[in-house]
Amino acid sequence: MKRTTLAAIALAATASLGLTACAGAAGPAETADAGGKTTLSVSVWNYEGTPEFKALFDGYEAAHPDVNIEPVDILADDYPQKVTTMLAGGDTTDVLTMKNVTDYSRYANNGQLQEINSVVDSLDKDNLAGLDAFDLDGKYFAAPYRQDFWLLYYNKDLFKAAGLDEPKNITWDQYAELAKKLTGTAPDGKRVYGTYQHYWRSTVQAIAAAQNDGDLIGGDYSFAKDQYNMTLDLQKSGAMLDFGTAMSQKTSYRSMFETAQTAMMPMGSWYISGIVAAKQAGKTTVDWGLAQLPQKSAGGDTTTFGSPTAFAVNKNAKHSDEAKNFIEWASGAEGAKAIAKIGVVPALQTADVTAEYFKLPGLPTDELSKAAFSPDKTVLEMPVSDKSAATDKILTQEHELVMVGERSIDDGIAEMGKRVKDEVLK
Amino acid sequence: MATDTINPTPLRSQAPGTRRQGNRKQGNRKQARRNTLIGWTFILPNFLGFLAFTLIPVLAAFALAFMEWTSFSAPKWVGLANFERMLGSDSFWVALRNTLLYALGHVPLTLALALILAMLLNRKLKGIGFFRVAIFFPYITSLVAVAVVWNMLFSPDSGPINQFLQFVGVANPPGWTSSSDWAMPAVILTSVWRDMGYYMILYLAGLQAIPTELYEAAEVDGASAWQRFWNVTLPSLRPTTFFVVVMLTVSSFKVFDLIVVMTNGGPGRSTTVLSQLIYQEGIGEGKFGYSSAISLVLFLIVLTVTVLQFKLQQRRER
Repeated sequence: MKRTTLAAIALAATASLGLTACAGAAGPAETADAGGKTTLSVSVWNYEGTPEFKALFDGYEAAHPDVNIEPVDILADDYPQKVTTMLAGGDTTDVLTMKNVTDYSRYANNGQLQEINSVVDSLDKDNLAGLDAFDLDGKYFAAPYRQDFWLLYYNKDLFKAAGLDEPKNITWDQYAELAKKLTGTAPDGKRVYGTYQHYWRSTVQAIAAAQNDGDLIGGDYSFAKDQYNMTLDLQKSGAMLDFGTAMSQKTSYRSMFETAQTAMMPMGSWYISGIVAAKQAGKTTVDWGLAQLPQKSAGGDTTTFGSPTAFAVNKNAKHSDEAKNFIEWASGAEGAKAIAKIGVVPALQTADVTAEYFKLPGLPTDELSKAAFSPDKTVLEMPVSDKSAATDKILTQEHELVMVGERSIDDGIAEMGKRVKDEVLK
Repeated sequence: MATDTINPTPLRSQAPGTRRQGNRKQGNRKQARRNTLIGWTFILPNFLGFLAFTLIPVLAAFALAFMEWTSFSAPKWVGLANFERMLGSDSFWVALRNTLLYALGHVPLTLALALILAMLLNRKLKGIGFFRVAIFFPYITSLVAVAVVWNMLFSPDSGPINQFLQFVGVANPPGWTSSSDWAMPAVILTSVWRDMGYYMILYLAGLQAIPTELYEAAEVDGASAWQRFWNVTLPSLRPTTFFVVVMLTVSSFKVFDLIVVMTNGGPGRSTTVLSQLIYQEGIGEGKFGYSSAISLVLFLIVLTVTVLQFKLQQRRER
């Protein structure tokens, strides 16, 4: 009966294959309310590497002993696709983290999220940055707890060595001038660039859109002309690492700044906690400061751009009331302080929260850095629309061609408009 | 392939004396059925996996090509709309052109280099194994590592390749992956370097199957080394070459990972290939119907090219 045994083994192998195939598709564990506690499930990305989640969950659990939060951890790169798939499959995770506003608008318009106007009304609306992005005809389906925006990082030592004042309230013209002055050779013989603009298209296009009221999915990109002119001029003069090298070498903006290869760098506020962590770990000794993002003209309001991150309640949530409670807490003063403690920028911008934020060891304590922390206006990086992803791809491709010098600025801007109109807006 | 087909002798797994003579026919049929069943049981585990993760998705993709589906709502039948959109889309033609360019560069170069290397390494020397392994090594190295290292070599101003070019007197060396004209050649060079070892092994096997009598006879007839190569080696390698060309063509049309890591389709769209377009439109922008339509077209292209190659081969053999 040897053969029967073999067949049995083969069948067993088959069965296990079938089982493993299904095991991958399992959702969050069924929420067993252990010991009278309610288990609230929250979708997150890269739980280990994104400390804000743990800070929020621990804080909430401490304040609400009857709730136990269970993170549903998803790979950061797959997050939007995975959540889309989960929702399509009727997943019952209670709270869904909205990684970007484009996905938010898709889920909300598809009726996959619960309306939470009651929660938003109880929040400090006037000081909650980024809230407008979640307003769909007066209805809110998510509330922001975190708001990243762009500012200017600068290396204090390099400024001192060049005998220059801190870059307070500067215009783009002054920024370009400073960058050229700061370019040169460090005492240790290393090349120092005046500034570094990372190869993302945001470093030119999103800044230009925010400060010129430009519409990134409108199909007319003439508003970006001045910003391109300035950036290409800096590149030509050698005050900035050239785009071709940065892009093909996948240059890390972190190492550019942390190894003092650049004196200035426009970058998002998420990098603050990155520098603090690198300094604490002894990976860098850079003496850094923050300044407002340079502006078109002097003396006006400070306009920057950024993007909020929010929590929403799943339409199929098992614990809707607890989920709303959690969001109210996370977007309120308590949640804001919990993430400010670890260097993440909360959406709630009050004097209290800023004070809490600057208590973090390793943050610059000068007035300019604190002032940089309260921009007058933060524009959404990319408008909320189902056309964002397709437009983003085209703008990135054309941005590359302009930056490597294969298209003139005018041609590049014309081509962007033509392609967006043809391929997206039609 | 240049191997003899082996006719396996059918296994007779009958225990003698278990059956009576009169029932032989029926018994045989029963036996055959049982054997078939056992055979199926053996391939079942693998086949089920193939069914669930390859065959059904492939068939679903063919159906999706005629639908509009964003994964948020139920698929909607739209007939040929996806194909109309594709033919009117600039990006599709750019990607198709890039895919063909890549294949035109990658196939002949890899073929020629693999053959030359195989000829060089097809001799009995001490330590020849080391060289064979060295040439084969890129093929089993992680592709991401290969891409990152070559990106460094190709670095426009500080990369060793351009340093060398400047050293030998090229005033303006190309920008490689940061230039639209040179990004594709850079990708092709990298992929040729990576793949040649594998196809070299195939050619080595082919070379070693050529009977030495042929060479001896040619030498007696006074053929030069070149004539021996042209009239003995190449014709004898024809089956191998055919196989290599088919494999290379199929893999060229499917290229994805190397390009994504090296240039991500840039600068601009200069290295965007079809498989990448499929990924961008489907996974990136959620247009699963449209990207299925593109994959259907890619499938048809590969199928046509392969069938043509088989037809040509048959005609040659006649």
